[in-house]
Amino acid sequence: MGTLAVFLAPALLLYFGFTLYPVLRTFYNSLHTIGPQGVQSFVGFANFSQLLNDDPVIWKAVGHTAVFTVVATLADVFGGLLLALCLFAGAPFARVLRLLWFTPVLMSYVVVGVIWVWIYDYDWGLANVILRAIGLSAFEQSWLGDPSTALGSVMVTHIWKWLGFNMIIFLAALYALPAEVLGAAELDNCGWLAKLVYIMIPMLRATIVNLLILSFIGKMMIFDLVWIMTGGGPLWSTETVSTYVYKRAFDWNTFDLGYPSAIAVLWFLIIMAFVVVITRVFRQRDKLEF
Amino acid sequence: MTEPFAPRPITALVLAFAAGIWLGAPRAHAEDVTLTVWSHEADQDAKVAFRELAARNLEKAHPGVKVKITWYEKNPMLAALKTALPAGQGPDVYYIEPDWTEYITGGYLAPLDDLIDWSTIEDWARKIWVHNGKTYGVPQEAYTNELYYNKDMLKKLGVDLPANAQFTQAQFLDLVKKAKAAGMTPIAQGVGDRPFPGAYIVGEALLRKLGKADYEKLFTGKLSFQDPRVIEVFKWTKDLVDVGAYPKNFMTLKLGESHYYFYSKPLALMLPMGSWYTGRAFVPVEKGGQPPDFPLGIMQFPAMDGGACSQCKTSAIGASFGINAASKNKKLAAEYINAMSTPEMGKRWIETIYLQTGIKAKVDKFTGPYAAYFTELMARQKGADYFIGGPLDLVEGKCKDAFGQVLNAAFPGGLLTVDDTLKRMNTACYKG
Amino acid sequence: MWMGYLRRSPLLLFVAIYTALTGGPFLWVAIMSLRTTPEIFVAPYSLPTVIHWEKFVDAWTKSNYGTYFWNSVIVVTTAVALLTVIGAMVAHCLARYRFRGARLIRFVILSGLILPPQLLVLSLFQILLEYGLYNTLTGLILVYIAGHIAMTVYILEGFFSQIPQDLFDAARMDGYSDFEIFWRITLPIGLSAILTTVTLNFIILWNEFLYAVCLLTEDNKRTLPLGIMHFMGSHSLDVGMLATGLMIAIAPIILLYAFFSETMIKGMTAGAVR
Repeated sequence: MGTLAVFLAPALLLYFGFTLYPVLRTFYNSLHTIGPQGVQSFVGFANFSQLLNDDPVIWKAVGHTAVFTVVATLADVFGGLLLALCLFAGAPFARVLRLLWFTPVLMSYVVVGVIWVWIYDYDWGLANVILRAIGLSAFEQSWLGDPSTALGSVMVTHIWKWLGFNMIIFLAALYALPAEVLGAAELDNCGWLAKLVYIMIPMLRATIVNLLILSFIGKMMIFDLVWIMTGGGPLWSTETVSTYVYKRAFDWNTFDLGYPSAIAVLWFLIIMAFVVVITRVFRQRDKLEF
Repeated sequence: MTEPFAPRPITALVLAFAAGIWLGAPRAHAEDVTLTVWSHEADQDAKVAFRELAARNLEKAHPGVKVKITWYEKNPMLAALKTALPAGQGPDVYYIEPDWTEYITGGYLAPLDDLIDWSTIEDWARKIWVHNGKTYGVPQEAYTNELYYNKDMLKKLGVDLPANAQFTQAQFLDLVKKAKAAGMTPIAQGVGDRPFPGAYIVGEALLRKLGKADYEKLFTGKLSFQDPRVIEVFKWTKDLVDVGAYPKNFMTLKLGESHYYFYSKPLALMLPMGSWYTGRAFVPVEKGGQPPDFPLGIMQFPAMDGGACSQCKTSAIGASFGINAASKNKKLAAEYINAMSTPEMGKRWIETIYLQTGIKAKVDKFTGPYAAYFTELMARQKGADYFIGGPLDLVEGKCKDAFGQVLNAAFPGGLLTVDDTLKRMNTACYKG
Repeated sequence: MWMGYLRRSPLLLFVAIYTALTGGPFLWVAIMSLRTTPEIFVAPYSLPTVIHWEKFVDAWTKSNYGTYFWNSVIVVTTAVALLTVIGAMVAHCLARYRFRGARLIRFVILSGLILPPQLLVLSLFQILLEYGLYNTLTGLILVYIAGHIAMTVYILEGFFSQIPQDLFDAARMDGYSDFEIFWRITLPIGLSAILTTVTLNFIILWNEFLYAVCLLTEDNKRTLPLGIMHFMGSHSLDVGMLATGLMIAIAPIILLYAFFSETMIKGMTAGAVR
């Protein structure tokens, strides 16, 4: 079928040229060590065994990334749903709010990071200033300086940035819901909570699942925000897989790409396994078929 | 029946646009030689002016030669270098620092022994760049670690600086306690964006306690962190931390912000800092500099009880330049570096950037608004026994990572006990 | 209104709080963009005493924002336009046709979503060199497209596959060619999803900086995020100029979004396909 070829060709060409080759190259690199003058020596699974047995940071990074991804995804998606419902339910100035609530999405990570580092500052950051003003100064912290609160603080910032996006998607989906069903529910004297839980959410199921997956994938790669705000500290409490890969590839005194490639490959395998499991669970056969 | 694929107008337009951009890209002519230089410190006007001046001087001396300096911020420059060099695409000349040894071991720097005019460079500065008998970098910026303080605040506390400007261990702790009681922040310091400032106090204390040889052994993994002298130093530092020597936002305060904290708002008693302090301080107040009448003083880091070397001081090389081993213009590149390293340029460096240099420059008399500062700075260098290089120049790999997270941040940040800190440092650094 | 009046107070409170949360920082940045950095350090939250409009001019000329802005416009609009067209074609294919290798192609494309860009950048560098595209805007455009096809295809395919097959069967019976089906049925009906991907891609690419840093070395080719990084120098954080730079960077996307959101919502309410 010639048309098929035409439809697929540009994407596949670009993809193979610019994405697939680097991907394969990364797999290749993970089995080698790059020494002086770029000379590669095959080391088999040595990188992987070092990674699995002798690396104190990687499992912390995986753990943080996992926690971050799961919690932030759920908060993001359901928060977005909540916001969309607010607007749908007829909050005043809905059109302005739609734009305003979306602005964090438009800001670059650099600026979001810088602003929130300031907000979290111990002495004059808004967070502590407000806590002091309302008499809760017992709760003031060095939000980004304390290992127990740093990851949560970065999470809040990330959620703040992305809530608006999910809100818009949900809003569109809500508007697309057939009015007859909602009207029928009204006639049947459904309370708004029942209507929400038993009618609207099931009808939005496809959107919810899609956004969960999209959000999940986006958050797994979390790098820019963490890098700007904490650089993986304090005491590695915000180290994620991406920041660790970046550090090993660019910050450590080495040109060796073998080890960071091994980290990336390992991560890839973990995610693949996870996605396969999730797909089975949701049985969205027409979304992600492997 | 299928229609032939007809390019949509907009797609065609876009493709044409893209092609136009590519075709329109400037092409180099065969007769021009362009020397490419990558440097960071794009936000320090005086240094930009300095390096651009050398570039223009070289162009005047060699018609047909263009020197193109691409200015980066540090992290983007590192990312760019690490992608470009392995692909054989780096610049001819690039900025390097002495602890970036991977460029030497990776073979991306050319040996400079025969290319550079070394008569204008100080020997001790050159030594830092010698590996396996060959020199790989030309030092430009030199600095010493100093302990700046606010003269007025010290007077207000009723404390006098000893004749040799050095407190004892106990006096220093006492001073910090007094300052804290008077509502002052004793030491302005922040580790928000650097892996070394938090380690100034403990690092300089270790140097004075252990002496140069053992200090080096400690950070190269040959001396255990459980050595009793090391434990004593850490216990003393922990006392300082517990008394509240560092500000509450220590973990997130940025380096530039710590300067401002010290001399503008909210003011602090002391600021341990490299002598490149002047780069941020000696600029107009609107640009974030210190107020013109600020009572700046310099004291020595405190002497340790039973210390091996109270007159020891850390001196280090910062900004340096090297030549890409794959460069096709090595001679020209060397000439550019030479152009930056003449005695006149050395003098210019000191006078416009207010910083020491690895270039042999004779400044007999200090003039200008900062003369008093330089006089005091030189007084603090008298009789000093220098250790060349900071801890970051010595540590590698896991140890470097631990240094930044543990010794620099978590320990002075009050997050770890002495035992925990020493254990972690040993695990990461001590080679047995 | 199917929510009773009583229920509106918590709603209103929530709306007010959230508006403050999102609008607050943005307003703060807008105010900071008109003040100089020392002024901000002295009193971070106060209103400007002197309105420094000249900062915008400075950023545009002295800090070369003008050049960066146009480079960003060129790179991002081209990349997003091509990305949308190419991605839609693939999504349409995967959604409508069953053919050998479909599963493989889908797998290959979607697995591109998972690898971290920090590693891919190194091999990408080498590839661009080989094709002579290093340090060119074209090279960056191609890399951006390749990097975001996966996400675009994922979103669009999900949407396209929900379009009822009857529409297509009817069209085919009416003698439409494959291409006409794509152009006249899938695209108009899928417009809302397409606008979603356009918005998302635009936002992401407008702010992308890792690839831009590594793959472009000449100052006059740099894009806006690199310009912003200039104010985040290791020497000092020039907050005032950073805020100004942000306002310049964010203006076009706000306009774009404001324009598109009306169409997007209209499209979604009009063409209810679910």
